[in-house]
Amino acid sequence: MRSPSLAFRNRHNAGGAAERFVRGLLIFVLLAGGTFAFGQDSANASADQKTIQQLMQRIEKLEARVAQLESARSGPAPATVATGPAALATRPPSGPAAGPPEAPPTPQAQATDPEAEAEHLEPERMDMSKTLLRIRGFGDISFHGTDQQGSTNSFSLGQLNLFVTSDISEKFKFLSEIVFESGPDNFYNMPGGRRNEFGVDVERYLLQYSYNDYFNLAVGRYHTAIGFYNTAYHHSTWFQTTTGRPLLFQFEDSGGILPIHNVGLSASGRIPSGSLGLHYVAEIGNGRQSRSPLSEEPVQNEVDENNYKAFNLALFARPEAIRGLQIGFSGYHDRLQPVGLPRVDETILAAHAVYMAPKFEWLNEVVLVRHSPDGTSQTFNTPGFYTQIAKRFGSYQPYFRYQYINASAREPIFPDVGRMEGPSFGLRYDASESVALKAQYDYNIARHLSPNNALTLQLGFTF
Amino acid sequence: MSLGLRKKLGFAIAALCLLLNTPSGGAAGSGVAASVPEDNLAVIVNQSNPIEDLSLKELKAVFLGERSHWPNGRRITLVMMDPGVPERKAVLRDVCHMSETEFSRHFLQGLFTGEVFVSPKTLSTPVGVRKFVFNVPGAIGYVKASDLDGTVKVIHINGRSVDDAEYPLRIEPRPAK
Repeated sequence: MRSPSLAFRNRHNAGGAAERFVRGLLIFVLLAGGTFAFGQDSANASADQKTIQQLMQRIEKLEARVAQLESARSGPAPATVATGPAALATRPPSGPAAGPPEAPPTPQAQATDPEAEAEHLEPERMDMSKTLLRIRGFGDISFHGTDQQGSTNSFSLGQLNLFVTSDISEKFKFLSEIVFESGPDNFYNMPGGRRNEFGVDVERYLLQYSYNDYFNLAVGRYHTAIGFYNTAYHHSTWFQTTTGRPLLFQFEDSGGILPIHNVGLSASGRIPSGSLGLHYVAEIGNGRQSRSPLSEEPVQNEVDENNYKAFNLALFARPEAIRGLQIGFSGYHDRLQPVGLPRVDETILAAHAVYMAPKFEWLNEVVLVRHSPDGTSQTFNTPGFYTQIAKRFGSYQPYFRYQYINASAREPIFPDVGRMEGPSFGLRYDASESVALKAQYDYNIARHLSPNNALTLQLGFTF
Repeated sequence: MSLGLRKKLGFAIAALCLLLNTPSGGAAGSGVAASVPEDNLAVIVNQSNPIEDLSLKELKAVFLGERSHWPNGRRITLVMMDPGVPERKAVLRDVCHMSETEFSRHFLQGLFTGEVFVSPKTLSTPVGVRKFVFNVPGAIGYVKASDLDGTVKVIHINGRSVDDAEYPLRIEPRPAK
C-alpha cells in the first residue's frame, strides 16, 4: 500500500503541483532578490529603499497568490470527494480498464507530468486473477427410536456434506455437494443393504454460467426444480427446520418417489414482471432410472436407459408486496423403462405456496405423480402433500408437519410405497449460529402396517 | 543597504519561507466537504458503472443478492465491512432490515441453493473497500462520507445525494420525530 490515506494523497495531488510551483518561484524570487540586494553598493541608500519597496510589493503579491491558492484548494478539494456525489456521477466512465482516475486539472498540474501524477493517485491494484475455492460443511448426528417391530434404537451419523464452490470468472462458477453418508445406500426396504458402511456421493456437480438476471445456465448434476423443498434445502439438515425431509422429497436412494436429482442442463432466471417477481426454471436431463426394480443408483449420471430426455418447467412468483411469499407450480415429463414391463410415461405435476420469514414459516406443497404404461389405458395417480408450520421464539422454533402419500398397490413403479401419512411435532433450538438441536415426534400411519410412534433427537451443524 | 534593513528583510524572508512550508491546516484533514454530514453512509460503485441512483428497495435487492447484474451486464459483487463495524450495522438496519445472524444465514442459504451467484466480499477497512470497488467493475460497497475519495463513484439513494439533508442512510439512526 503506497499511502494510508487516499483522500489525503488526492488533495495533495490536486493542489500540490501548483503549490510547489508557486513556492519554488517565490523562494527563487526572494533569494534572487536578496542576492541582488546584498550585491549592491550600500552608498546608494535611495536605490536600496526603492529596491526594498519593490521587493516588499512583490512579497505581498506572492502572499496574496499563495492565499488565493490555499483558499482554492480548501474549497473545491473536497470536491475530489465530494465533488463526489454530483460530479462523479456525471464523470465519463473510466474505471480500471480505462486507466486510473484523473487528478482534477489545474494549470499548474498540467505543467507537471500527468502520468506521474496519475500514478501517485492510483490505488494499488489487486490480483483479481485468483479463483477462490470455498468449502462449507454440514453434518448431523441423530438418535432415533421407534416402537415399530423389528427396529432398534440407534445413534446415526447423518450426511457429512462438503459444499464446494469456486468463482471461476465473472460469469462462471462451480458448485458441488460432496456427501459422505453411512447406512443402506439405495437399499430402502431391501434386505442385504450395506448397513453401517460409509459411501461417497457427488450429489450436485454444476458449472454455472450467469449471463444476467434473466438467464442463467447450469450444466451437470442438479436438484430437479420440482416444487419448493427440493431446491431450497438440498443435503443439509441444519438448514431444515425439521429433522428430515418430507416423505414426498425423500432422496431416491432412500426410497423417495420423485426424481430429486437430474443430470443435464438447467436454465433459470427472472421474468420481467414488475412487482409480481416471476421466475422460471427450464430443465432437460437424463431423468431417473425406473424404480422397478430398485436400483443401486437411480440417478443416471453417465448413461440414460433410453434416448428420451426428461423435461421440467417450473414457474413461480415472489411478489414484492409480501416478502417471503412464493407461489409456483412445475410440470415434469419422462419415459421410464422398467425391467420386464412396458415403457411407462411419467408426468409429475407440483404446486406450492410457501411463506418464509425470519420468524415464521408455512410451507405447503402438493404433488401428483402419474404413470401411464404403454399399451394400456390405465393411468396410476400417486398424490402426495405436506404442510409445515413453524414459529420462532428467540432461539426456539416449535413446528408441526402433516404429510401424506398414497400410491396404488398395483402401481408399476412404486410397488413398495403404498399409503403413508401422519403428523410430526418438534422443537428446534439454535444453540449457536451454527448448531441446532432438534427433537421430533412422528406418528406414522401406513397401509397394512400398525401405526407406530417415533422419536428423533438430532444435532445439526454447519462448519 | 543598512544592517538593520538587511536584518528586517532577512526575518521577513525567513518568516515567509516558514509560512510557505507549513503543512496546510483547516479543512485539509477532512476529506469531505464541510457541507456533507460525516455521519452519512455513502454507497459507492466503480467509476465505470453507469448507475447513478438506486431506490432503497433496489439497494436492498442488490445487498441481498436478489439482483446479480448491473444494467451494463457486469456481475454485481457486494463488498461488506466486518461484522460489528458501524457502517455494516447501518446497512443491515436500514437497507437489509436483518440481524447479523439473519443476514449470514440468508446468504449462506442463497449460495447453497445457487440463487446467489457470489458471496459478499468482506473487508475490514474503508481503504480496503474503496480499493476493491476501484478494482472490480461490478463492485458495490459503502463507506462513511468522511472516508470518500475520488477513486470511486458515489450513487444517489432515493434521488438524494450523500450531502443532502434528507439522505436516507446514516451511521446512526435518525432520531424519531
